[in-house]
Amino acid sequence: MNGPRIALAVLGKDLLVDLRSRDRLGHMLIFAALVVVLISIVFRAASAETHSAILPLLWIAFLFTSVLGLGRSFQAETEDGAWVNLVLVPADRGWVFLGKAGANLLALLAVEVWTALLAAVFLEVDWSKSPGTVALAGVLGAIGLSVLGTLLSALSASARFREFLLPILLFPLVLPVLVFATDITTEALAGRPFAARTAGALALFDWVFLLIGYLGFDYLVEE
Amino acid sequence: MGEAFRYGVTGLVVVGALTWLVRDEGRAIRSARIAGPLALIGIALWLILVFFYAPVERVQGIVQKIFYVHVPCAPVAYLGFVMTAVGGIGFLRTRDQHWDRVSVASAEVGVLFCTLILITGPIWAKPVWGHWWVWDLRLTSTLVLWFIYAAYLFLRSLTAGSDAARTFASLYGILGTAAIPFVFFAVDLAQGGTLHPSNPAREGLPTSMLIPLLVGFVSFALVFWYLFARRLEIAQLEFTRPEVDPG
Repeated sequence: MNGPRIALAVLGKDLLVDLRSRDRLGHMLIFAALVVVLISIVFRAASAETHSAILPLLWIAFLFTSVLGLGRSFQAETEDGAWVNLVLVPADRGWVFLGKAGANLLALLAVEVWTALLAAVFLEVDWSKSPGTVALAGVLGAIGLSVLGTLLSALSASARFREFLLPILLFPLVLPVLVFATDITTEALAGRPFAARTAGALALFDWVFLLIGYLGFDYLVEE
Repeated sequence: MGEAFRYGVTGLVVVGALTWLVRDEGRAIRSARIAGPLALIGIALWLILVFFYAPVERVQGIVQKIFYVHVPCAPVAYLGFVMTAVGGIGFLRTRDQHWDRVSVASAEVGVLFCTLILITGPIWAKPVWGHWWVWDLRLTSTLVLWFIYAAYLFLRSLTAGSDAARTFASLYGILGTAAIPFVFFAVDLAQGGTLHPSNPAREGLPTSMLIPLLVGFVSFALVFWYLFARRLEIAQLEFTRPEVDPG
């Protein structure tokens, strides 16, 4: 079997599990909805000044939701003793990582669209001002978060206190993604020109960590 | 740009020398015997220079003397973090556990110096800037780095012992170092600029202040080297005599 097919198989398997059990995705969507509703309640007097704080808050809500889902990305493998199947895969194990990260990316994109919809309804965020740029920031941000999150969740899958360990490992490393993505979104909705340098830095970040994940995953599943 | 190049070359030389030193663990541990006395002499000389040679700064007064503690901590902390990644790469490539001990030792000593930066900074900032903490580029990124490597130590304490744990930690050490430039750029973007002078030497620091600072750089590097070598020795002892429980 060649690499891309293995990646697709892993991605398809994870997607199927997500859609059939609806555990992970369902909980993420409910959690995201709750956080957005909470934000809109505490910001009920949404004046012009408080409005500028909403986009960064949405990104943080998205980050918190993601970490809940990402923490479970190797749940099936650790609980059902399926690690050995990942190890025995007849190809470069980096492809398994890409499949896993891809499945996480799709889940995070679903959460993002959902959060954006809720924000439009409850917080009156007008995404139509520059949908292309916002979508780009969303996709690049979700890639960075899913790549780092998948790798770190593999690191912490077998550790004690893994619920704490994953965010403690992830948050400081993912800070650039959060800042870059928030910056692009805020600038776009404020009607300022597209920040190409920031988008480039975000894309470079995604690429570097994708590379480290691809190469490093091979070592991770060796045992 | 020439300045950045000089810093880069100096950093590479120091990291290269330290990497050469730790390739042979016994050599690295024995080197504590040289580094210890040298560090002691260096620190004594540094203290004498700071208290009796360096002038009291006209505007800031005696408070400014913390500069000689604060600034030399920074390159040493970075050295610790880079050596964590070097040890990680060494371990992943060779699977030799002594590289992993290099990572542990340098991360711990790096976090120690990073903590010192974060403690001495506010002590200096309060009387001079009027605030304990300002959200500026260097403060924020140093704090984030501290979190990254504190998380590294946390990871080590939660996943102790197995080869898998060592692989995890190596990867995280590499990730952390790869993130450093992004963290800098991100914090710069979010907060815009810094109150820190870019380089004390370029600001026309008088010789009477420059000499204690340079002696500080050298002696702090020696202290780092000594602590690192001793920590490496402890790690090696734990490895060779696991039945000895320090608690």
